[in-house]
Amino acid sequence: MERTLNDTPGVITDIQRFSLYDGPGIRTTVFLKGCPLRCQWCHNPECLAPQPQVRYQPRRCTGCGACAAVCPQGVHTVDGGTHALRRERCTACGACAAACPTQALSIAGRSVTAGEVLAEALRDRAYYEKTGGLTVSGGEPLAQPAFAHALLALAKASGLHTCVETSGYAPWASVERIRPVTDLFLLDWKAGDPARHLAYTGVAQQPILANLERLAATGAAIILRFPLVPGLNDTAADLDAIAALLERFPTVDHGELMAYHKMGAAKYAGLGLDYPLPGLDDMAEARKAEILAALQARTKRPFIWG
Amino acid sequence: MQNSSAIDFTIEKAFTRAFQENLSAPAALREARCLQALYPALLPPIEKDDRFAGRTLLMEYRGVGFSPDVTLYSLPHGMGYFYREDVFQRALAAVPPDSAEVAEIREMMAFWREHNTTAQVKTHFSPRIRKYLPSDSFAGDVGVGFPLYRMTGAYENYETLLTLGVPGLTALVAKKQAQGDPEGFYEGLRLTVALLRDCCLAYAGQADSLAEAASVPRQAELAQMAADLRAVASQPPHTFRQAVQLSWLYSCLAGVMDYGRMDVYLGDFLARDLAEGVLTKAEALDAVVGLWRLMVARRTVYHGRVVIGGVGRRNAENADRFALLAMEASRIVHDIEPQLTLRVYTGMNPLLMEKAMAVIGEGATYPMLYNDDLNVPAVANAFRVSPAAAEQYVPFGCGEYIIDHKGFGSPNGVINLLKALEVTLFNGREIVKNEPMGLALGEFAAYESFDAFYLAYKRQLTHYVEVLAEAEQMILARTAEQAPFLWMSLLYDGCLERGRGLLAGGIDYLGATLESYGNINSVDSLAAIRELVFEQKKIAPERLLAALRANFVGYEAERALLLAAPKYGNDDPRVDSLARDLHDFEARIIRDQADRVGLHSFLMVVINNSANTYLGRWTGASADGRAALSFMANANNPVGGMDQNGVTAMLNSLAHFPPEHHAGVVQNVKLSRDLFAKAPEKARALIDGFFKNGGTQAMMTVLGRHDLEEALAAPEEHQNLLVRVGGFSARFVSLEPDVQQEVLARTQY
Repeated sequence: MERTLNDTPGVITDIQRFSLYDGPGIRTTVFLKGCPLRCQWCHNPECLAPQPQVRYQPRRCTGCGACAAVCPQGVHTVDGGTHALRRERCTACGACAAACPTQALSIAGRSVTAGEVLAEALRDRAYYEKTGGLTVSGGEPLAQPAFAHALLALAKASGLHTCVETSGYAPWASVERIRPVTDLFLLDWKAGDPARHLAYTGVAQQPILANLERLAATGAAIILRFPLVPGLNDTAADLDAIAALLERFPTVDHGELMAYHKMGAAKYAGLGLDYPLPGLDDMAEARKAEILAALQARTKRPFIWG
Repeated sequence: MQNSSAIDFTIEKAFTRAFQENLSAPAALREARCLQALYPALLPPIEKDDRFAGRTLLMEYRGVGFSPDVTLYSLPHGMGYFYREDVFQRALAAVPPDSAEVAEIREMMAFWREHNTTAQVKTHFSPRIRKYLPSDSFAGDVGVGFPLYRMTGAYENYETLLTLGVPGLTALVAKKQAQGDPEGFYEGLRLTVALLRDCCLAYAGQADSLAEAASVPRQAELAQMAADLRAVASQPPHTFRQAVQLSWLYSCLAGVMDYGRMDVYLGDFLARDLAEGVLTKAEALDAVVGLWRLMVARRTVYHGRVVIGGVGRRNAENADRFALLAMEASRIVHDIEPQLTLRVYTGMNPLLMEKAMAVIGEGATYPMLYNDDLNVPAVANAFRVSPAAAEQYVPFGCGEYIIDHKGFGSPNGVINLLKALEVTLFNGREIVKNEPMGLALGEFAAYESFDAFYLAYKRQLTHYVEVLAEAEQMILARTAEQAPFLWMSLLYDGCLERGRGLLAGGIDYLGATLESYGNINSVDSLAAIRELVFEQKKIAPERLLAALRANFVGYEAERALLLAAPKYGNDDPRVDSLARDLHDFEARIIRDQADRVGLHSFLMVVINNSANTYLGRWTGASADGRAALSFMANANNPVGGMDQNGVTAMLNSLAHFPPEHHAGVVQNVKLSRDLFAKAPEKARALIDGFFKNGGTQAMMTVLGRHDLEEALAAPEEHQNLLVRVGGFSARFVSLEPDVQQEVLARTQY
């Protein structure tokens, strides 16, 4: 059993130590690759596709052609200083990234085992004390249900506090499976209105709501997180829905408001993707205060800005 | 302080006369007569807002004088009977060329060039020392090792001073003197105690005259000051203020720049005055703030240590009261001195750590934290003393441990590990001035394995450590013949009983330390050489040497590979174990010199100051990708920006260094103001975890506006920045440059 958990394979983009805002205390956050949602404001686009992919930063590129020389698939062509990629041919073998002298090329995503991830997380055990621990994030961690479960189960068995950051969009069986090894669910609520939910995220709201109901009924510790994007999901009606949701689920500890920021935007081009929300600015501090006040006028349930 | 047109050489002349008249007298008498030429003449005036009398002696501006350490412009300038050629030259230029004074000044110059302590010491250097340590100027010349000339880092026994006071010391010296004084040592001490009394009275008189013209509230302060000075001139101190006054003045007179376990020696005075209503809490704080401001004005550059907390205090409760007051004073004064040092231990009053974190979180940098749980057993081992003696360890200056008022640990030498690597790579040559240097141990291309090369590097290091130890012993022994250092000896345990000076067998633990720089650049260079030259063979040995010689011009691809090689500071076991091996090897070979050259201890220190920058200016490009003549990493911290796995990973790398064989390795931790503001409990968990993991010290800097501006200007040097937003995955290093700017602006660093 232990052996199987340790060997469970998964694909991640990064292990981020000394994470401060992904659950209580000091944490190590592992970002799992792959997500069924396509939220327009997604700030981790490298976590969308399930498989590793090549990432290219043109501003670091000197046009030296070392990548073209080593790529077995002919992905790279460097012509007169212009570097073009045929991504459809790429197998993410990593040869170009290894050859690139300026790190303009890198591979987003790597295959690991749950045991390897846990070993790194345990290196920081001294800093977790009673509150900190491991956070499984993504992407959507439940898109790799066996791997997510193995990570959490191993962490739990090692005495670490465990957190999951999830959209809640997964078969109930996957949620139920991690429930006993998860100390805290950080569950995202993307939009109140089902139609807009579908429009902004590409998936239906209903399965998420159903999972939330069932999960809350088990008595699981839950914090609901609300990514708030100016003009998209921060209307008065959205705030009504958010307040109502907290009223409806009294076991949810509190609501955490997540302000839109555009730091994820620059990641898109490197992956050959278009950013869905060009030109949108970070949420202003004044607006954040306004939203918090509006919510607290609607309900006494607690909210904080994360 | 003085301009060339008005150089008054009266003191130099009197001092020279006193020295020459006593040239063949016992060293103690000669020193005492010379001191009489300086005190109280060199006492600087009490200034407008001074709460206590005593400022830096006007010594360092003189052409000659007597001081344990004249440090100017951040560089050591002499010790004992020091001589400053530059001041004499200025004096010469200021007198008419045909005047009689010219001859007089020239005569003095010729005399002191020969008789200053440093020169006297150097005449005894062996040919081997002269060959391998040809230069004294670590800031101004190429070299692997450099001797230093300074008797610094003394910690006096202030408890003795405050318990006995002037009359008690006078009586004690007289009693010993009555039993015989063949070498004039006690007579010297007697004259020194008399000088202490004279200086108290001189300052009392000065306070009286200042009071005449002062405003009403200042008049009261000056009257109090004068009364306290007169009191301590004739009896042991009875109040907190008197205790502060006497201990502070003594430090100034003695030229001692580190102030000891102040919470222990002042704690009882403070508690008693507060209990008896002699002082209110506000007045006590005002007194400590006043003392701190005098320390600021003294600008010792690398000293000003005040130690609080820790195990081994006889009066922990009273001492803690002072410790809390001291931290509050540091919060208010917010300056680079005093270097407030908090020794933390299991079972410490939790209020102290709470206060410390609050003060640090405001950006005070102080207190610096020392982990007694690890340091006490480590000191016992490194210094070969009992655990009880080790409880009295105190870091001086930049961080060298010694045993409080029982041990002495300078002048120190300097070793540049990265320069040693350079001369090993280039087979006995250095590449900045292209001169022969060090041992020629073989052509780099001829090494068959990394291990073989690493072994050669260790041989090179061993050679320099041996020569530096020999120089150190020679400096201590010859300086001891020159002078007993009466001020320091008077309050050092053992000197009075044994009738011997500080360096001449008077104290229990006469040792020294060797300051090691360039350690981490060397580790990263070795790791890169191992991986790229020997394992992956991506860079041929000749090509590496050519790249280093060319400072990477035309070798940009090689430099990129070297920079991308694994680096220390990322909790990467392969590099960190190399760091551990090199560190412990060096610590042990240094420690092993003590018995060979006859010192109680000779220990490695890795400390913070500017030497990493100065030495870097004379060190060629290195295999970690560092450009020629640029600064080297400070202490045992990662090379700037190379720690990219977050603070915990960096701390794990730091904690890798075993503490048992050295006298202190400084560990710097930079944290964002945001962390303290938003999540102080996480900052605390970080430090607790670090100490639990093996961290021995934490110098915590809270990043301020200045750091942010620096990072905005050069993000490539700040790639260890943390981007921490809920659910957001980003490594600063992998972001596009414009986004790096945006992240900096947003996350407030």
